[in-house]
Amino acid sequence: MSAVVPSREPSSPRIIRAEGEQPLFAPGDRVRITVRFPVGHYRVPIYLRGRTGSVEKVIEPVGIDNEEEGFGRNAGTKRHYYRVAIPLSELWPGYAGSYRDALHVEIFETWLERN
Amino acid sequence: MSTHTHDDHHHPVDADAPLGYYEVMETAVRDLLIGKELIGPEEIRRQIEVLDSRTPALGAQVVVKAWLDPKFRARLLTDGRAACEELGISFYDDTRLIVLENTDKVHNLIVCTLCSCYPRPILGLPPDWYKLKPYRARAVIEPRAVLAEFGTHIPDDVEIRVSDSTAMVRYLVLPLRPEGTEAYSEAQLAALVTRDTMIGVVQATIP
Amino acid sequence: MTDTSTLLNRLANDIGGVQAGPIEQIEHQLEPWEKRCHALADVLDFHKIINTEEKRRGVESLGEVAMGKLTYYERWIAAFANILFQKAILTPTELARQMDLVAARSTGGEVRSNDPAVRSE
Repeated sequence: MSAVVPSREPSSPRIIRAEGEQPLFAPGDRVRITVRFPVGHYRVPIYLRGRTGSVEKVIEPVGIDNEEEGFGRNAGTKRHYYRVAIPLSELWPGYAGSYRDALHVEIFETWLERN
Repeated sequence: MSTHTHDDHHHPVDADAPLGYYEVMETAVRDLLIGKELIGPEEIRRQIEVLDSRTPALGAQVVVKAWLDPKFRARLLTDGRAACEELGISFYDDTRLIVLENTDKVHNLIVCTLCSCYPRPILGLPPDWYKLKPYRARAVIEPRAVLAEFGTHIPDDVEIRVSDSTAMVRYLVLPLRPEGTEAYSEAQLAALVTRDTMIGVVQATIP
Repeated sequence: MTDTSTLLNRLANDIGGVQAGPIEQIEHQLEPWEKRCHALADVLDFHKIINTEEKRRGVESLGEVAMGKLTYYERWIAAFANILFQKAILTPTELARQMDLVAARSTGGEVRSNDPAVRSE
């Protein structure tokens, strides 16, 4: 490493983000809702498992995993929820409405994979 | 005690009849929690007052202000909860609010397929039909048929966007302002903004 | 061997997209106890004695039959009782005794209990 040379410009300190602070996905990203079948409680409806969609919005601030919250965890590692858009024509075979129609739903980060 | 004439899950209540099983349970749970000082004796009463103060009129106030004030509208669409709090509509819980703007290209509809999530701090308590199976099951798979049952027909070139609340975000639909209301006062505009326009099953119309 | 895993993997309240009939646009005014029950839920959540997600999970835990037969607020209060037992905040016996007392108060003294500790003379 070279010697530290005082700079004329003020430099912002480089920070390390805590676990979960940095969103994994950004608006526009294609994501897939994981196929996983928890025993008992969940908050990702079955009709969405395995579906792909686009991230519409990163919900801020980070939040607790609502599935864990259901068992009394009012704290813990927080991650992002994402508003994901899925066309209804892709969600339901033979969808009879407009090809433009879509579903938007909030999904916790641990249920999403990059598509 | 009030009496009811509708049927379904509720029975007429007679002032001389013993309390129903679940009312006894509710009373007993409350008694015990207060006895153990886990909740205060006035908290339930106070929260009932809070709940009673939340009605669709609050939502109508938010919508009308958005119709009349473009800067407020922009703030509302950016952070729904903060904008409502500007108007003194406090949120007594941890939920967030996304306001969904209807346009000539998008018509929004809200549902909670898993339970009954609803923007209670701004609209009050949801109607029964919103909490029951037919609406919750069908809104995400055949929204146009659901809207038709409410007398609402959206053209095919307009997207119907269904939002299913599964997490801590709640939704409020910002309906389109009806044409021909340019000269309406705030009160007249507010009268057009019914609860069902903010769920998205109907559009705001001039009666 | 029958695959019963669906009973565990699919919640009875997870009904998005299933077949259902017409929407009856019914609404009812809450009975006083129902409103108190709703207020209780909010107060419990505020104190994080029972948060809203716990309530949801508690309702699911009632199982499909009870969920189908109990009304909305009946499900809530039943779920609260169970969760309070799980958290050792109340015991079933404690609640049963208090329920007997409440029932007795409401009918002016007639106690319908087999528990010798609360049976009136």
